[in-house]
Amino acid sequence: MAGPYSGIRVVDTTGLSGGYATRLLAGLGAEVIRLESPDGSPLRRLGPFAENIEPPENSLWWSYLAMGTRSVVIDPQDTESLMQLLTTADVVFEDQLPEKSALPAGEISPTTIRTKILPFGSSGPKRNWHTSNLVAWAASGILYTTGFTNRAPVAPAAPMQLAYHASAASALVGTLLALRSRRMTGRGQEVEISMQEVTLSIAPETGVPMFMDDRVHRERTGNRRDLGRPFGLYPCKDGFVSIIVLMPRHWTAMAQWVSEATGNESITEEVFVDNAVRVEAKDLIDDWVEELTTQGTRLELFEEGQRRGIPITPVNTIDALVGNPHLEAADFWTTTHLQDDTEVTIPGAPFRSSSPWWSMAPAPRLGEHTHIYLS
Amino acid sequence: MTDTDDLPLKGVRVFELGIAIASPFCGKLLAHFGADVLKIESRMSPDVVRILGSAWLKDREDLAPISSDTSPYVSEMNASKRSVGLELKTKEGKTAALQLLAECDVFLANFGARALAELGFDYDSVAAVNPNIVYVQLPGFGSDETMPYYPFVAWGPNQAPLVGMDDFTGHADDPPAGIATIAPPDYMSALHAAIATITGLEQRDTTGEGVHVDISQFETTLALLGPFVMDYDLTGTVYSRIGNRSIWGAPQGVYPCTGNERWIAISATEAEDWTTLRSLVGQAVDAEFDDASIRNADQDRLDEQIAAWTSSFEVEDLAHRLQAAGIAAHVVSTNEDLLHDTHVTSREWYQVAPSNRLGRDVFSGCAVKLSATPGRWTEAGPSMGQHTREILSDVVGLSDEAIDDLISAGGAFEQIEPDMVATRPWNDWIHLLVPGTEDARDL
Repeated sequence: MAGPYSGIRVVDTTGLSGGYATRLLAGLGAEVIRLESPDGSPLRRLGPFAENIEPPENSLWWSYLAMGTRSVVIDPQDTESLMQLLTTADVVFEDQLPEKSALPAGEISPTTIRTKILPFGSSGPKRNWHTSNLVAWAASGILYTTGFTNRAPVAPAAPMQLAYHASAASALVGTLLALRSRRMTGRGQEVEISMQEVTLSIAPETGVPMFMDDRVHRERTGNRRDLGRPFGLYPCKDGFVSIIVLMPRHWTAMAQWVSEATGNESITEEVFVDNAVRVEAKDLIDDWVEELTTQGTRLELFEEGQRRGIPITPVNTIDALVGNPHLEAADFWTTTHLQDDTEVTIPGAPFRSSSPWWSMAPAPRLGEHTHIYLS
Repeated sequence: MTDTDDLPLKGVRVFELGIAIASPFCGKLLAHFGADVLKIESRMSPDVVRILGSAWLKDREDLAPISSDTSPYVSEMNASKRSVGLELKTKEGKTAALQLLAECDVFLANFGARALAELGFDYDSVAAVNPNIVYVQLPGFGSDETMPYYPFVAWGPNQAPLVGMDDFTGHADDPPAGIATIAPPDYMSALHAAIATITGLEQRDTTGEGVHVDISQFETTLALLGPFVMDYDLTGTVYSRIGNRSIWGAPQGVYPCTGNERWIAISATEAEDWTTLRSLVGQAVDAEFDDASIRNADQDRLDEQIAAWTSSFEVEDLAHRLQAAGIAAHVVSTNEDLLHDTHVTSREWYQVAPSNRLGRDVFSGCAVKLSATPGRWTEAGPSMGQHTREILSDVVGLSDEAIDDLISAGGAFEQIEPDMVATRPWNDWIHLLVPGTEDARDL
């Protein structure tokens, strides 16, 4: 399968900040070259690691994010080889400010697209500031509002490194727009992503636009949100379920279910159909809902709630997903091979298309393709 | 309208059936880069952002009729779109919608797959009137009706716990804190939808063939968990929440500063970070932590000592000290901080644009910045049905009489009293917060 971006050559000089973007580009058919230093991409140093495989080929982050790409090693001092490679690229992914970068500050060629993913962008008082997944969330307003009030606030899903993946996905959107623009005008350009702005773009629900409207200082609200009721995590026999009732039809079904399961007759009263009333009476509503949820397991509540048309899901960990009946039936999981040929389960394509868009090869060995590109 | 001649999506018309965030966030991005995005709206089953309204409007009976145009989400998720009031559940409204669809390039929707099919806007039905359409849908669980979760319903904040994100959030010894205040799966699905839409347009423009893209939010969010799936398959390891710590080194955390609820986030996980941090903390942290293995093994005690050190600093001052030395750190910003953050404002993150209903409105900008073809905002969010008549006339080619008939048959609607306007409470001082904005007294 050729893929929609076959014929496009991409050089990725980033680590985690661009990794998810170039993974998708590779899956969509582009020729993606990961430029590595002799000691390897920073991704290769990220655990978890596969047992029985020696570094630098054992990182599972590398094995996942570098799938379908090619590895070319160039010594940082070897600017000639670097330029030889860069001038053939349609797209270059970067994560350094011009003055700190080994890449040329000026134009590589008039048709090159340069995609820069930077902590705080290339301008402004914090342009030189460093970042991390945690720091990006801190700078968005989201970290401040996540967690319980008796403990320090927490980053959302910290181990996932979402701030990086969201930045990479945003960078890919910009890159594809620039490629479309180049097809029409023949000209390359720069795409710039500030990781802070990416996390700010995910923040509207807790962020400045809502704050300007209600002028209410936001504190952490634990695992529930006062936008509706029930809204958030509710305890059950073996953990928690997530319930979000905003729409009137969802409330009607929810109230009926609580009423049937617990004999609560008050909950079906007309007054509670108004979401604002339920938020006012949130403690009462939460108590009533918990009388129902504590009777069942995650799976029982998920299946029965969904049968009733209520937005309810289990609070899962990864073991509940590998083997999930829907994902099995949908044939979602696929596999790749590690460097010692171990076959390992991985998520399938991030979306499905009626045209054959997606294919993936295993991640390359350090320097596996150097000889092809540097003669 | 600003000239869109140079924009990458000039000439692209999008038919959007969006609710809340996932599809609307994608549509807003496409509109920013030049697409003509038509938000198809219903009074019978309105987008939830039309129901939410605005906090300052709560007790204003006089403005109740235009409440649906006042939620901050209207502009936040729909800036630069046009709003078309069409009741798809009526025969007349559906006919007009299909006529309009024949003139569009992209179909974008995050209705549930079953709801979309029941409305008669599944891929086959849409392709029947527009065979080359780029059709992108974001149902919670995919559009294959033979799959077990096909009829299931979930909002973005329900998708996060389903794939493990809520279990990943919180301190190790607490119950899951969950991600109560935002919905990452909505935004990640939206970004994938934008990637699929642009890819589909390129395919259509170069080969003439349209495409159907099915973005199951369940699957899309799982695609971000690759290394954890692999480790589980290989070793049976199930990762869970670890507070703000890093799986790759220490210290990393959120520490208290002077004042009430003032916190600083610090990441110093690399060896050279520690050398730098040591030069700042001096004797406040025990010498044994110069050994990286002890830093990793005894993070509780390390964090306690760092917290004792940070707690005597003013937070903004400490963030600047750490960053000046080269350590990743930031104030755990509140909304109040962000409104006065000169970095955020110098990059013009918050935008102000004209609003038909509110005079002007504020919304977040776009995190994707292109140097040669920067996007633009033509307007803030539309009022409900603001553009019904102009689109049915200009795009579908209906006469004024035909549009009147459609409206009286209940198939379409226009905005309520077009000249009824309100002003947000902040209107008089927004120029102080969003640089370059006109002082209201000069408007």
